[in-house]
Amino acid sequence: MTIAEIKSLFEADISNCASLAELQELKVKYLGKSGLLTSLLKSIKNLPAQERPTFGAKVNELRNEMESRFADKAVLLKSSEMQRRLQEERVDISLTDCPSRGALHPVTLIENRIGELMTALGFEVLSGPEIETDYYNFEALNIPYDHPARDMQDTFYITDSILLRTQTSAMQARVMEHRKPPLKILCPGKVFRSDSDASHSPVFHQIEGLVVDKNITLCDLKGTLEYIAAHLFGPQTKVRFRPSFFPFTEPSVEVDLTCSNCGGTGCSLCKGTGWIEVLGAGMVNPFVLENCGIDSKKYSGYAFGIGVERVAMIKYGIPDIRLFYENDQRFLKQFAK
Amino acid sequence: MKVPLSWLKDFVDINVDIQTLCDKMVRIGLEIEEVKYLGENVTNVKVCCIRQIEQHPNAERLLCCKVDIGGEIIPIVTNDHHVKVGDKVPVALHGADLANGMHITKGKMRGEESWGMFCGAEELGINSDMYPNADIDGVLVLDPNAKVGEDIRAEVGIDDYVLDIDVTANRQDCNSVLGIAREVAVAIGTTCHEPNIDYTEYDTPTQSLVSVDVDASDICRGYYMQGVTDVTIAKSPVWLTSRLAKVGLHGINNIVDITNYVLYEIGQPMHAFDHNDISGHRIIVRRAANDEKIILLDEKEYALQNSDLVIADRNRAIGLAGIMGGENSEIKESTTYVLFESASFSRMNVRRTGHRLGVRSDSSARFEKGIDTYTNNLGLSRALHLVEQLGCGKVTRGRISIGEVAASKEIVFDKRRIAKLLGIKIPDERVVSILGALNIHAELDGNTLRCLIPPYRDDIVRDCDIVEEVIRVYGYDNIKGTLMPKTQITCGGKTVEDERIDSLKNVLNGMGYNECIFYPFAGKALFDKASISPVDENDYIKVINPIGEELSMMNLSLAPNMLQCVALNLSRKNANLRLFEVGKVYLSEELPLVELPYEQRRLSVCATDIDFDTFRSNILQTVRSATDKNVRSVRSSCNILHPGISADMLIEGAMVGSFGKLHPQIAANFDIDTDCWYAEIYLDKLFDHARGEIKYEPFAKFPSISRDFALLCDEEVAAQDVLNEFMTLPLVESAELFDVYRDEKLGVGKKSLAITVIFRDRNKTLQDSDIEKQSGKALRTLKEKYNVVLREQ
Repeated sequence: MTIAEIKSLFEADISNCASLAELQELKVKYLGKSGLLTSLLKSIKNLPAQERPTFGAKVNELRNEMESRFADKAVLLKSSEMQRRLQEERVDISLTDCPSRGALHPVTLIENRIGELMTALGFEVLSGPEIETDYYNFEALNIPYDHPARDMQDTFYITDSILLRTQTSAMQARVMEHRKPPLKILCPGKVFRSDSDASHSPVFHQIEGLVVDKNITLCDLKGTLEYIAAHLFGPQTKVRFRPSFFPFTEPSVEVDLTCSNCGGTGCSLCKGTGWIEVLGAGMVNPFVLENCGIDSKKYSGYAFGIGVERVAMIKYGIPDIRLFYENDQRFLKQFAK
Repeated sequence: MKVPLSWLKDFVDINVDIQTLCDKMVRIGLEIEEVKYLGENVTNVKVCCIRQIEQHPNAERLLCCKVDIGGEIIPIVTNDHHVKVGDKVPVALHGADLANGMHITKGKMRGEESWGMFCGAEELGINSDMYPNADIDGVLVLDPNAKVGEDIRAEVGIDDYVLDIDVTANRQDCNSVLGIAREVAVAIGTTCHEPNIDYTEYDTPTQSLVSVDVDASDICRGYYMQGVTDVTIAKSPVWLTSRLAKVGLHGINNIVDITNYVLYEIGQPMHAFDHNDISGHRIIVRRAANDEKIILLDEKEYALQNSDLVIADRNRAIGLAGIMGGENSEIKESTTYVLFESASFSRMNVRRTGHRLGVRSDSSARFEKGIDTYTNNLGLSRALHLVEQLGCGKVTRGRISIGEVAASKEIVFDKRRIAKLLGIKIPDERVVSILGALNIHAELDGNTLRCLIPPYRDDIVRDCDIVEEVIRVYGYDNIKGTLMPKTQITCGGKTVEDERIDSLKNVLNGMGYNECIFYPFAGKALFDKASISPVDENDYIKVINPIGEELSMMNLSLAPNMLQCVALNLSRKNANLRLFEVGKVYLSEELPLVELPYEQRRLSVCATDIDFDTFRSNILQTVRSATDKNVRSVRSSCNILHPGISADMLIEGAMVGSFGKLHPQIAANFDIDTDCWYAEIYLDKLFDHARGEIKYEPFAKFPSISRDFALLCDEEVAAQDVLNEFMTLPLVESAELFDVYRDEKLGVGKKSLAITVIFRDRNKTLQDSDIEKQSGKALRTLKEKYNVVLREQ
């Protein structure tokens, strides 16, 4: 065949080629070891010597053109094959049955949130034993046996001197006995009181905060609580102190926050007062410091005890403390985030 | 502590309305539980004067009256035939509401106009303690001096508020009208007048009536006594009984009422003895003999013991100190000589005795909080003043005083301590004036602040107490928040254990499990249902004073509460349960406890509407998230799980927990009628194998070689055991199961495990011969241990 014949045959073949496999076959047909063009080139030896360079150049030209055309065609075919596959491959996208994310218990959510806030201020989060000695729960906190303050907390006893802790404050002396200031401690956990009705549960959660260092003041206590309140209930939340009494703090205060429901104008949640009582706090009583071998002239501190369920009830609008311990899955699932 | 506003006004001028008063009281530390207006249920009732009475024309039992209500004459029909012209009586006018719930409207009675109704005491909510003759049935005939047209509430004393105040445990002095009055004066910026304690002593010396010995001065700090001769026992005047009525007491007789009055007004529990009943006219304050008996005023007999303190005469106990008087020496109609006792008994002693015998009284409640000897004497003098005022008899000469009368104590400290603790500066003059208002005499000398504390303020013992006094009056609103500007840097964060628990919770949340929190105790019945019970009931850590048996035994497993919760959820038609709890069980070598038990943290996981493979993979994924060690499963012997469909998980031989299908018997015990899957994991054991610190390791330089094995074995053989055998080889990087094949051709009870093992030597390129050697060793062991053989291809 002549160059011209091969060329015209190639044009026909390549335009009819519909797949990469066919294209490969064509490559062999024209450019393979015994392909048309290769055979043509082999026939060069039959030509007169002076015609050979011209003929060789023409064949090479054709070869280059073919190779370039093969490459172009390959791109074209690949792209159309991809299109075809994309058209053909189809799944039913409606069937996506996967479990929704589970939730943390609201008590954990509040504990974690306050934990994050306080660790950012340099607080360590520790947990103490739930079955506690009378000493740490009472004596070390300036509540000797027969002190009327014991009546403030109905206590579950295991033996005469071992009890279920009534307050996470029991961790105060445990920490301070072994470690010296500066101390910034947060202690969340279960506490136990032997009363139970619509607003009381025999088991509930507290978060104890304790700071002991030089130069700690009541203003610092207020600032810390304002910091927590702002993050939990919004930056407009105000903190109010009212005088109170706890044997292990002096001065002692009850802490109210502006009602998150009405913003302080008065509603049914805050019984019209605009304020909601959320925790007790105060400056660590020097007796407690000295009892743990900390110089109360040099160091001062503050402590607070937050009722976790109380905060969760306000924040999430939970009406009854018993819901926390019923663990109905419809309740639990609402706290997924 | 209930305080009538009218009583408070005896001591302090109150120039603000009730709401402001309460707000100010709260701001200085007196929490108001309730404010009750006594007349709230009685409206539009006035004092009227009856001008005319005629027989009702149509009804024999009725009278038609014309009454003056202050400038207006109105018709009233009544059925009370005792009323007379000129009587002043309460009349409820149109629209009136009465204490018994009645609502009064104008109308006609049997054709005659009646614009209201005469009222009796009951309709006004009063009794004879509050108004004379209020015990007589029918219309209440008022005092002739009552002012016609006036609101009845003022006339009968119910135009008054009673404040119920929650007094904090440190302020025993505020368990009295006087104590509250002192605080109110400070709160509203007026002054408090001390009570009138004047009285005249007559000739009879107190010493001639009685002698007193205190044999137990360690638990009786002070004992004071003075008498009254020529006593006339009578009813107390209404002004006195009406006050007692407002705090919830009944009038008894003048002497007893005086002791109650002083109890409420001064806060001093008093006791009055009939002198005639005191044998030998001698009083001994002593410890009781063991098993000594006494009948108290509540008419019950009590068996005493040596730790109890009694007031005795020569022969017998006549009172239980601080708690209640004896029946044998009570005040009677016939009493002519009275001895008033006012004392300071140890609060611990009163508390212990009272609690042991189960007897409490208004007196013991106050003694338990502590009474000082200053108040003892103030109370006694006040009682004697009232004796004179009421004309009950003649006060004897001189007082028997045993024990030193408390004096003011001094606290001296550096005034800069105030600013250091509070973080704000309060002007010196203000500090001194605040303390002055609290009857704390304060003097500044340079930086030295000297404070004289009044004897009734037992709660003020050191500088920080003074600081509290200053700031509660100065106002907590003056405290401005700061965020510890001078504190040293501390390194915060959760414990490693808590962080690990957070991670586990996160993994479980991701798989759809919801966190539960349960009480860490339950009742024996619930433990029995879950077959958790130890053989002996005494092997539990038990609450000795539980609310109920069902909340008495500390957790030995997390299963009982979790399974109860599953049952509850199922009964409420909640399906697809995915629940978990991170809780504690309490383990002790020795019971009853002598030291604190080990509180083991555990994770329980529970699911319904799930298959074994999914549940197992959920549990293993959770466990593996916490550890990079190999977790081996062996058949479980946990008795709450199905023996054939459950596994124990071991890490390096240590049991870290179990999972599987709930045992059908346990499920039945809990009425769980669907397949339920349960796992309990010992977090301490798991965390023993927790991932270590993150440290980058370079990748292996030499290539790995992968080999597949088809192994024939008995159905009983756990795939995990087979894999583990490969894993023990030094050059094996991983061994994983990718298929299990069962076929008749393999034989009955046989299966074929297809596993892929990856070999790698970190130091050189592996040769086939290395692999042959290694796998040959594993295959030999497998053959010996489990009769596992390489399958013929």
